[in-house]
Amino acid sequence: MKNAVRDMRMRKNLAQGQLAKAMGVSRQTINSIENERYTPSLPLALALARYFGVTVEEMFDDQGS
Amino acid sequence: MTKDRNRGITRSKWFLPSFSLALGLVILAVAWLGGHPGEGVFGLAGLTVFGLIFLLAGRSETIRGLRGDGRDERFAQIDLRATAVTGLTLLVALIVAWLVAIARSQNGRPYDWLLAIGGLSYLLAVVWFRWRG
Repeated sequence: MKNAVRDMRMRKNLAQGQLAKAMGVSRQTINSIENERYTPSLPLALALARYFGVTVEEMFDDQGS
Repeated sequence: MTKDRNRGITRSKWFLPSFSLALGLVILAVAWLGGHPGEGVFGLAGLTVFGLIFLLAGRSETIRGLRGDGRDERFAQIDLRATAVTGLTLLVALIVAWLVAIARSQNGRPYDWLLAIGGLSYLLAVVWFRWRG
């Protein structure tokens, strides 16, 4: 699914590993989400949106997938 | 509570290596009882090496995911898919083995029993998970 995780992470100057640690997942999972190979669960999507202070719709685009 | 404690045990990096060692010891005991101690020692050695590899190769995210301590939701999904593929492969192998046995005028045992257990397990699992929602 198309998403803005990479953009938002870069804006915060975070490494994938740092974001992964904050979310309690592996670095590979963050990488897979950014590369649209893995669609996160609802709890993880909510946690990501909450972490970056945006809505889930602003972070994930189900129309563009 | 119990579920969380069990999850904690299987998420320890010691779980899989300990399980491998325990399985190796069981194989040794069973092989010894069957009069083939050499095969038992071979099995124990193999499983000990397998366990040590998993214990010491902690830098790989794949190894940590398989071991349990690096498991997250994506790896849980990978594990579920891999388990389904394994089950399907076993099912196909059993069907082929059963057909070959029948074609050779054998009675098809134990493949027919294993297929029946597999089919029944699948149906019970579907009913259980449907009931659990």
